[in-house]
Amino acid sequence: MNGLNLVIEQNEIFGLLGPNGAGKTTTISMLCGLIQPSSGEVLINGENLHHHAEKLKAIIGIVPQDIALYPTLTARENLNFFGNMYGIHGKKLKEVREEWLEKLGLTDAANRQVGTYSGGMKRRVNLIAGILHRPKILFLDEPTVGVDVHSRTVIIEHLKEINKTGTTILYTSHHLQEAENFCTHIAIMDYGNIIMKGTPAELLANFKGGNTLEHLFLDLTDRNLRDS
Amino acid sequence: MIEKLKASVTKEILLLIRDKTGLAVLFIMPMVLIFVMTLIQDSAFRSMNENGIPVVFVNEDMDSLGFSIQRGLQDNPLCKINNGDPSIIYTSEQANQAVSKGEFILGIIVPANATKSIQNHVKKMVENVLNPESVANDNASEIVEIKILIDPVANKSFVNSIVSNIREFISELKMQLMFETFSNEMSQFLPSDTEKPDNNYKQTQIVKFQEVYATNKAEEIKPNAVQHNVPAWSVFAVFFIVLPLTAGIIKEKGEGSIFRIYTMPTPYALVLTGKILVYVVICLIQFILMFCVGLFLLPLLGLPILNLGESIAGIFIVCIASAFAATGFGVMVGTLARTEPQGAIMGSLSVLLLSALGGIWVPSYIMPDLMQKISAFSPLNWGLAGFYELFLRNGGPADVILPSLKLFIFFVLTLSIAIFYNKYKRSS
Repeated sequence: MNGLNLVIEQNEIFGLLGPNGAGKTTTISMLCGLIQPSSGEVLINGENLHHHAEKLKAIIGIVPQDIALYPTLTARENLNFFGNMYGIHGKKLKEVREEWLEKLGLTDAANRQVGTYSGGMKRRVNLIAGILHRPKILFLDEPTVGVDVHSRTVIIEHLKEINKTGTTILYTSHHLQEAENFCTHIAIMDYGNIIMKGTPAELLANFKGGNTLEHLFLDLTDRNLRDS
Repeated sequence: MIEKLKASVTKEILLLIRDKTGLAVLFIMPMVLIFVMTLIQDSAFRSMNENGIPVVFVNEDMDSLGFSIQRGLQDNPLCKINNGDPSIIYTSEQANQAVSKGEFILGIIVPANATKSIQNHVKKMVENVLNPESVANDNASEIVEIKILIDPVANKSFVNSIVSNIREFISELKMQLMFETFSNEMSQFLPSDTEKPDNNYKQTQIVKFQEVYATNKAEEIKPNAVQHNVPAWSVFAVFFIVLPLTAGIIKEKGEGSIFRIYTMPTPYALVLTGKILVYVVICLIQFILMFCVGLFLLPLLGLPILNLGESIAGIFIVCIASAFAATGFGVMVGTLARTEPQGAIMGSLSVLLLSALGGIWVPSYIMPDLMQKISAFSPLNWGLAGFYELFLRNGGPADVILPSLKLFIFFVLTLSIAIFYNKYKRSS
């Protein structure tokens, strides 16, 4: 990262867009306390994440890019474990777990080992594991990558629903159209820096090279192939 | 916090139950190991006792000494003379060739005129004492050389113990012959039959040896293959928990679930505690199963029953200390290794090395000085020392405190290394 300065207001759906290797995942890893920045600080509600890690991690949820589940455990067993680790237990955990399994169409398969699931089903369980505790801030690192249109639509709809209940969302994606429709605010980053940020409408208003986020994205980041 | 710990323990148990191969490695393999190793060592010992060691005997003397040695060897259950048929006559050259080809482990050649040489020697000694002027000043005594041929391929320590037995036996026969000759010679110089010396060699045996296994307790435990092997291989097998534990930790890293855990309001140490508790219980179950093999299965095959000594509390202390040490070591290897193959190699090789150093394969007291000093730093050596204290010296809890304390310190040390390395990796 290179002097990253980012302010996300409460209840925003903030999209962090950038080519491979731009620093999106590293940014999310720093914001959720997975790695420490070499300098600078992460403030959540004005409190330093590093100094109040235990307290602030309780209000954070993360849906990582890779499926972070135990493949030999069933969906219910995975959710029981991660729910408990977030501090919700017993009846409350059962209610929330079953509610989300139902919403994301996984109730019938919930007693099957996650390793036997399709890619889309795994993504949906991966999402539930990050939102079981109703986090105030939700980090989504490409939550719909490799997912079919149906699963993607369901996931995005429910994320919007979560946002309406007061959860601030920081989201990264390569689906620019999806980001344009989903996010209230967007930042385009490259080489560890924020190049441009604003609402989708603001970003496109000042851009003369086209009328989609994709045109703007290609214009701001060079068109060379990128590897992370 | 208790709920989180319970969830962590439940997750570990479920992961283990789903891993059928891992379960086999954890429970069946150690029992098979104990069973096979004890049986092999016991049968090797028993085969030696029952069949005897193949010895080729050449009697070129054909007199008292030669025949006495031959009779003695035939009566000795440790030896099997000339393939069980003493009537087969070997020359010294044939014997030499047979031993060099490995047909016999040992060969004994009693030279021609050995008896006569001893008799002449004693006769001269007696005459020299009783009538020094009548004897020519002939100090040149004939040396009787009994040759012992050894198969160069045979295990040196094994051959040494047998050879020392045979040498002791032959020396005694030589002494007996010398005593008899001495008695006969003396009788010629004494005037009446009543004053003749009593020709009873056995009466001269005023020093006897009694072998007793030293223990501070009233009840003596007899060492045997079961008493030695069951605790040794149990400690070895329990340390092999490093493999599934390492694989589990590396899988968590590879599958990404560990990264989710890092972002949760739960200390990693708590998740690790759940894992450690489950594996410590598994180690204790392993110990129980392996002791059951010694108590119930091995006796069915004619082996001695495992004597657990008198201290159940002592056994529990050593078992739990060994279990924590093995688990701590597994957590450390799993944290340091990056991939599953790397963890498997690091884990298995380090346990093999620690077991070799710890005296599991070869007793540490026969190791060179330097290796003995290194051996004192192996956790397997501490576990083994604790069990030997209980199973062979019939000790109690107080006798196993030191090795158990060392094992607990090893657990704390390895766990600390794992936690600090993990913190270092995450912050770098």
